[in-house]
Amino acid sequence: MFVRILKLGAILAVAIAVIGGVVGFLVDGERGLLSALVGTAMAILFTGLTAASILVANRFSGTEFFTAIFFAVVMGAWIVKFAIFLVLVFLLRDAEWINPTVMFICIIAGVLGSLIVDVVVVATSRMGYVSDVTLPGE
Amino acid sequence: MDATTVLAEINGNIATVGYGLAAIGPAIGVGIVVGKTIEGVARQPELAGRLQVLMYIGIAFTEALAFIGIATYFIFTN
Repeated sequence: MFVRILKLGAILAVAIAVIGGVVGFLVDGERGLLSALVGTAMAILFTGLTAASILVANRFSGTEFFTAIFFAVVMGAWIVKFAIFLVLVFLLRDAEWINPTVMFICIIAGVLGSLIVDVVVVATSRMGYVSDVTLPGE
Repeated sequence: MDATTVLAEINGNIATVGYGLAAIGPAIGVGIVVGKTIEGVARQPELAGRLQVLMYIGIAFTEALAFIGIATYFIFTN
């Protein structure tokens, strides 16, 4: 399921990048195009990282410290992601080759789009309901 | 200058305060989401898989708020 979220997220990223790129190009030429591409990439990368971190963390399922490892990986990826995002925003804000407004709109479009993908995938996928309880005698 | 106006003087971009505020909400949100998931798994370990998925949705929504909050830096100028 998380793989599907990542795949659909990538498709959505391409769509937003194309639309945002065209609009950005019309608004502000090459600067707008570049801002749209970078903004979309940032939004999809950073939102996709949560799903990716859960996929990585689930590789440890069945091990003794799975719960601890799971939350460490997922929360750790989350905090690192935000630190990197903050630094990127501060760096890109004053860059001359960036149109802040186009970038902001593309980031919001990417974040909201990925939310829609998440909800649609979760709502349409089957969730495992498997117990790991073993009966006496088994 | 009058002493009362000097007391409340703030320099720089007031949007800086916004980044702090943008961090508080999602921090509380993710804390509650993760904490409640751990609680749920502790009560019913066999539901861990489903709770994990629901936790993912919860985190996705709270982090979206944080992303938008931080990205507002792009549009706030002075």
